Amino acid sequence: MRINFWYISSFFISVFVLIPILTVFSSFFENTSNYFQVLKDTFLVEYILNSLILLFSVLILTFLIGTGSAYLVSFFEFPFSNFFKWALILSFAVPPYIYAYSLTAFFENYGTAFTILKSLFGEANYNQSIPKFDGLFGAILSISFSLYAYVYVLARASFLYQPQNLIDLGKNLGFTKFKTLYSIILPAARPAIVAGLSLVAMETLAEFGAVDFFSINTLTTGIYNSWIAFDDLAFANQLSFFLLLFIFALFVLENFSRKKAKYHMNSRGGFKQKQKIKLSGSKSLMAFTFCFLVFFLSFLFPLIQMVYWTIKFPENLIDLQITKLLINTLYLVVLSSLFLIIFALISNYGNRVNKDKTLNILSTLSISGYAIPGVILAVAFITFIAWFDESVIKTYGFLSIKKVFIGSILGLVIVYFIRFYSLAFNGIKSGYEKINISVDESSYLLGYSKRKTFMNIHIPFLRNSLLFVFILISLEIIRELPITLILRPFNFETFATTAYISASEDLLEAAAVPSLFLILIATSFIIVTSKYILRDNHG
Amino acid sequence: MGKNFFEIKNVDFNVGGKTKVKNVSFSIENEGDVICLLGPSGIGKTTILRTIAGLEKIKKGSIKLNGKTISSEKNNVEPENRNVSLAFQDNSLFPHYTVEKNILLGSERNKEKHKKKLTLKDIVDLLDIFHILNKYPHEISAGEAQRASLARSLITQPDLLLLDEPLSNVDQSFKEEIQVRLKKILNQLKITTIIVTHDSYEAFYLGSKCGIILDQQLKQFDDPYKVYHFPNSVEVVNFLNRGILIPAKVTGKNTLENWDLGTIEGNFIKEYPKGSNVQLLLQPEDLEHDDRSNLKLEVVDRKFRGTNFIYTLKTPSNTLIPVFVHSHHIHQHEVDEKFGIKRPIHIDHIVCF
Repeated sequence: MRINFWYISSFFISVFVLIPILTVFSSFFENTSNYFQVLKDTFLVEYILNSLILLFSVLILTFLIGTGSAYLVSFFEFPFSNFFKWALILSFAVPPYIYAYSLTAFFENYGTAFTILKSLFGEANYNQSIPKFDGLFGAILSISFSLYAYVYVLARASFLYQPQNLIDLGKNLGFTKFKTLYSIILPAARPAIVAGLSLVAMETLAEFGAVDFFSINTLTTGIYNSWIAFDDLAFANQLSFFLLLFIFALFVLENFSRKKAKYHMNSRGGFKQKQKIKLSGSKSLMAFTFCFLVFFLSFLFPLIQMVYWTIKFPENLIDLQITKLLINTLYLVVLSSLFLIIFALISNYGNRVNKDKTLNILSTLSISGYAIPGVILAVAFITFIAWFDESVIKTYGFLSIKKVFIGSILGLVIVYFIRFYSLAFNGIKSGYEKINISVDESSYLLGYSKRKTFMNIHIPFLRNSLLFVFILISLEIIRELPITLILRPFNFETFATTAYISASEDLLEAAAVPSLFLILIATSFIIVTSKYILRDNHG
Repeated sequence: MGKNFFEIKNVDFNVGGKTKVKNVSFSIENEGDVICLLGPSGIGKTTILRTIAGLEKIKKGSIKLNGKTISSEKNNVEPENRNVSLAFQDNSLFPHYTVEKNILLGSERNKEKHKKKLTLKDIVDLLDIFHILNKYPHEISAGEAQRASLARSLITQPDLLLLDEPLSNVDQSFKEEIQVRLKKILNQLKITTIIVTHDSYEAFYLGSKCGIILDQQLKQFDDPYKVYHFPNSVEVVNFLNRGILIPAKVTGKNTLENWDLGTIEGNFIKEYPKGSNVQLLLQPEDLEHDDRSNLKLEVVDRKFRGTNFIYTLKTPSNTLIPVFVHSHHIHQHEVDEKFGIKRPIHIDHIVCF
């Protein structure tokens, strides 16, 4: 093995990303305040139970919605089926907490539903007959409608690549459509569906905004509370450790199924455009209704609710410093994306040219940041900086570095970096997987050095992947809440934090404007990348 | 050996920690010579080329180019600093550049050379790829991609050109024409070349020397004529599918005796003591059809091969012998019929083991 620039860079990038994860593990053995005892005697079981109920309910719902809609648009032709194909991914633009605000705004006492009924049927006490979607049920709905698209996108991609003769085989054996679905199509797409569900599971366990809004006690909110309310970092970390174990189990499962999915995707030989079945009559209507309902509930409903409130309370639009919020949001997006893309590129190339086991293990571990909730990362980062400040910086008599990293843009960007590193790394990696190693070798044989190969051959090739990764990271950062809340500088707000603060002060109408802008920006980003997300451009 | 342009000495060729070909030595005497390496799939031919190109390292022996050691246990010149060009068997064109840009990237390496320059036009005409110049690699066929890759390698005018199955994906109808053009340009430009192929006719046509790689060894390295007519081992005979080995007894300076065929005469390429029991190489063209002969064998199969038929004949001792007969030959035989063999049997080069 030869130590070169690429090796050293990849090594340090991976180690840097791993620090907060190791911090969480190391603090497991530290002493905690009395809060731990109090919590153990009171709410700990509730935290775990709520987390589990939330997790499994969301998994079932996202499976049904995601796989169902993917099946319909992949195999059948019905009115607007081509529109739904991409429209169904727009739910990515609505984070669970904004969905939760919409849900509450619509169904609450004297809310939008009440107003509609009143304008239709006149004054009456409708509040009692309007169902309330709050608490755990509200959180389940909000998270499911926001996250089902993970399952939808992966299941659809898998359906798209299923060879036509597999379906023909079903027909040949005399299977009904339903039997073909559960005995041929679903088992073949299993790895992709499991991968999608694993992502949903990680996001659900990490979800903070929606569960906090509905005041559900889960492990994630527990971590936040133990840190905010009781200033007990050690216990926050210990809770994080439990959650991490949970997530690592899912991560292993996800990784396992992804490997299979890759195997599945490589067998491209039999790929042939599916012959979609044209539906007519009631079947066509049912397929349309299902997809429309999903699209309406997941995207149009929160969008309309936010537009409605923005129009109803225009003063909020005037009060809000939209330009400032936009600049702040984009500033974070551009800065973080730039760092993430540059370092993920270097690390990927380092791994590619060195083919070293240590490096490989380190980078595999380093991408686990995505599996760790933002709350944990933020808390772990603060813990690490505090420890480093106390035991290293102050020992040698230097000025405290806390202010440089905590409550600063730098700290925020670093934690974003750790949290979304796996997105950048994996996104670029999947681009790299399309470059045959003989391309590198040809380049060397044409006299190009490693650096020149990287700059002149790889980067132009990866242009589309880089754009895709940029949009993906941007989307995440625009929607991101807990890290921004914990680590943002004083008086520095984004659309997400402004919406959260207004909502937590029970000013839901005021949360509408930033939420609407957030949805609109995210939607435009999704539209730009829809062809990559849907993987329709595979040549 | 000291003045050879290219030289491999006692090299073990490894890939992924596994030795593919052991203790190989051969050399190319003059700049501009073309040699071919033949062998079955997976035997390690590509590994040899990759190692010469610097993409794999060696732990034993040495490789010298133009008097300079480019690979040894202690010294490994990086691929980009060797001026050795390798055209891969699979499509290794840069997918995001057009064919023209791909080829021109190769010409960048050629800027400082004092040799006669090979222009894009020369190479395009040679390989007949004008129609694909503005296309991207995914828009062209495998055969076209292979020609484009070959063009990119050729235009660099390297000190040593390595071609891995360069025409394996090219249509049969076009293959021979490309072979002729390739041979011409390699000769004109004096580009020293090592070609790896499993097509023996391609190797015999293009190479001034041929190496046969079998059982992890370079079994034979010689002129194509000698490899063909004087294979040095049973393995080479089997690989080239040159015929069958039948038992015989040396009865004189120019004669042998086989129980089924009787006396066989000709020139031994190696001397054997009288009375020795040997395995005689009997090739399809060694026997002649003659229905007037009293040596008659049973036809068990007949294959039509365009210009000729190959008959498989069964001897009384149940040995199956292949025999060529020109397809215009008037009297053909059906299966189960008797087939006459001209006597006495004369073989120009008697090869025994």
